[in-house]
Amino acid sequence: MSFISLKDILITARQEAHRMRHFFLGVEHLFIALLEIKNGLASSVITEYGFTTEYVIDAVRRKAGKGSRHRLWAGVPNTPRTEVIFDVAQEIARDDSRTAINERDLLIAILDEDDSIPARVLKTLEIDATAMKEKVKVMKPVRSAVGSFTKIDVSPDFVRELTNDELFILRKMFHGYASIRVETALTGGYTSSQLLVVTPIKVGDKEAASVVVKIGPTDDILDEARRYNKYVKDTLPPLTARLEDKPVAPDTSELAGLKYTFLTDSDGNPKDMRAIVNKWSGDRLGRWLHQKLYGEFGEKWWKQTRPYRFEAWREYDWVLPPILTLKITPEEQKPSGATILRFPIRRTRITELDLGEIIVVENFLVYKVDPERGAIRLALAQGESTARAYQIEVQGIDFDKDTYFRGEVVDRLVGTVWKTRDDELMSSLLQLSPDFEVRNNKIEVNNFALPNPVKFYSPLLDAIVLGSISTIHGDLHLGNILIGPNDSALLIDFARTRDGHAIFDWANLEVSIMSELVVPQIGETWDDVRKLMQYLAVIDNPDLEHNIPDNINDALKAVAALRQIVAQSLANEDRWHEYSLALAFTALRAMTWETMSDTSRRLMYLVSAFAMYHFNTREGASSDHTPSPEVTDFE
Amino acid sequence: MVDHVTIMVMSGVDDGSLMVFRSEADGIRTGTQWLITVGRNDNNDLCLKNDTFVSRNHANLTWRDGGWWLEDKDSTNGTFLENEKDFFMDERVRGSIPIDPGQLFRVGRTWLRIQVTD
Repeated sequence: MSFISLKDILITARQEAHRMRHFFLGVEHLFIALLEIKNGLASSVITEYGFTTEYVIDAVRRKAGKGSRHRLWAGVPNTPRTEVIFDVAQEIARDDSRTAINERDLLIAILDEDDSIPARVLKTLEIDATAMKEKVKVMKPVRSAVGSFTKIDVSPDFVRELTNDELFILRKMFHGYASIRVETALTGGYTSSQLLVVTPIKVGDKEAASVVVKIGPTDDILDEARRYNKYVKDTLPPLTARLEDKPVAPDTSELAGLKYTFLTDSDGNPKDMRAIVNKWSGDRLGRWLHQKLYGEFGEKWWKQTRPYRFEAWREYDWVLPPILTLKITPEEQKPSGATILRFPIRRTRITELDLGEIIVVENFLVYKVDPERGAIRLALAQGESTARAYQIEVQGIDFDKDTYFRGEVVDRLVGTVWKTRDDELMSSLLQLSPDFEVRNNKIEVNNFALPNPVKFYSPLLDAIVLGSISTIHGDLHLGNILIGPNDSALLIDFARTRDGHAIFDWANLEVSIMSELVVPQIGETWDDVRKLMQYLAVIDNPDLEHNIPDNINDALKAVAALRQIVAQSLANEDRWHEYSLALAFTALRAMTWETMSDTSRRLMYLVSAFAMYHFNTREGASSDHTPSPEVTDFE
Repeated sequence: MVDHVTIMVMSGVDDGSLMVFRSEADGIRTGTQWLITVGRNDNNDLCLKNDTFVSRNHANLTWRDGGWWLEDKDSTNGTFLENEKDFFMDERVRGSIPIDPGQLFRVGRTWLRIQVTD
């Protein structure tokens, strides 16, 4: 087997240029063509750095951007930079006494130049092009994929079957060890990722310290590694979970894996709080969260606050279901009379859209690509990348005909309305067999007339919040908080870590505590849940007459302790409506989670309703928020 | 006062080409200021006719107070800076902002860079 010739690379490169509507041959097209060679030099070396070729290709495409359909010149000319690269590659070939440029010559020439789009993307991915070039120089065209075989055992505590894909990732991750023992699965979050505690064993039965392995969809895992480096690495207390190795992301799998190691003396396996919650009292959990989690992480994380004034939708729209689900229509032209959707968004108009109505979406960003379902998720191009507002699901895409890549800005896309967010929220609520009229604007609960969350959420998104911003975990729940040796707190799963609303994490954690700790103490009916809401009111107002059963009373102590953390995190002392807003949206989101029990989801609906009620009535509410002026986004 | 500046195209069909401007011949010089206009129209000093995302009169590059300033002229698709925090989320230029040689900026879909001079 020999290196691929330039002639063959050019065919792929031209196809790439055409798909991107570029009509020229740039270094980016050559680089992508090199990456697309199966088991080629470029893809092999990229894999060594812990990336998949797809990830790097998308990054290059994102930086280059798709061109327009207008063709301004004839043919497919080389860019001046491409000419320079060809000259350098030609020289490399000549030094090797060859006349024709091959795969390796071209890759070395590209890595030798600092200014091309691929070179800049590699820099961003923290890949040292010079070091990579040295690797490439000594690589041979034939590579065997077979390595030594790591044996995988499972401990008796581990009951689940591992899939072939998961076994494959584990073997790759622990390449070089004689065997590994999968100790247990952590319950994890509500995502599709798996969290496993694994003990690697060296040759001679010497056990190394246990690690937590996360296996999940490749894009999520690679993003998590990038966020860890950007936000987390330098802000952790000395004793905690760390991401040491590069992620393992084989090209042949949809999955990738990450390894969290622990710097403590490991004399017991880490456990996640969801597993422990039933063994601890609520009181103990509450104190532990305050002392160990907030106490040790707070300084570098949630206490790093700066004032932050924002419209609620910027931080909270993304937690709700997509504003719109569309079926794509093939028309390129703008259909006359169609509704055009672009920033700024006027949500009330979306609510009024009819099923089957034609919509033109302009200047939205591709947030997620799902070829298996033939769908993409669009979102507003502005805002923090993990928390983009106004997501639109577009279904029925033929990926053989159209390329979409993560991060691409779609100038225009035409589709018909399939579902609105109101439809989705309403159908979620109806799954819970409500015993009250769901279509009214108000619902009556425990003699309060409360806003109906599935109706009131939209005006609430326009509220202006005087809050603060800090580094937040972004997905804090009991499954992501581990307890390590000496009762230390360890955090994992940083896929959504960002600078965001400082109390977002606590609202999420409250949802998790309610669902894991409090709900198991009560019955399953709406009446049981309404009764619990009466007990919860005592946390806000200890003077209330109450007669709370002991088990519930204890569970609620964890919530009360959490509220003490919140009290220290409010932007303005005693202005609780800031927290009410966060809780209103995070609880409404949890109501839609089908992985949660129906009782929890019922409770979340009521928590959201009370939070919205409190937002309107609590101290400071009237002076701090005013509805934002009407904006127009429709022609 | 600088008497010349070199700008490199960093993307698109002209990726890698260099454009040299001289203050006695190109742009508009008033006192200690030097203005170079950027756009798709022929009458611009820096003409990007191959990028349909560039507006007819898109942006200004101005030398003043010992440095270069970049300003968007209400273009349709905007002028952007590379974002240090997030490489893939370019930062939109609002008002007139200082721009250092070596720093990348984007006009429409075309990335440009003022070359560092020795």
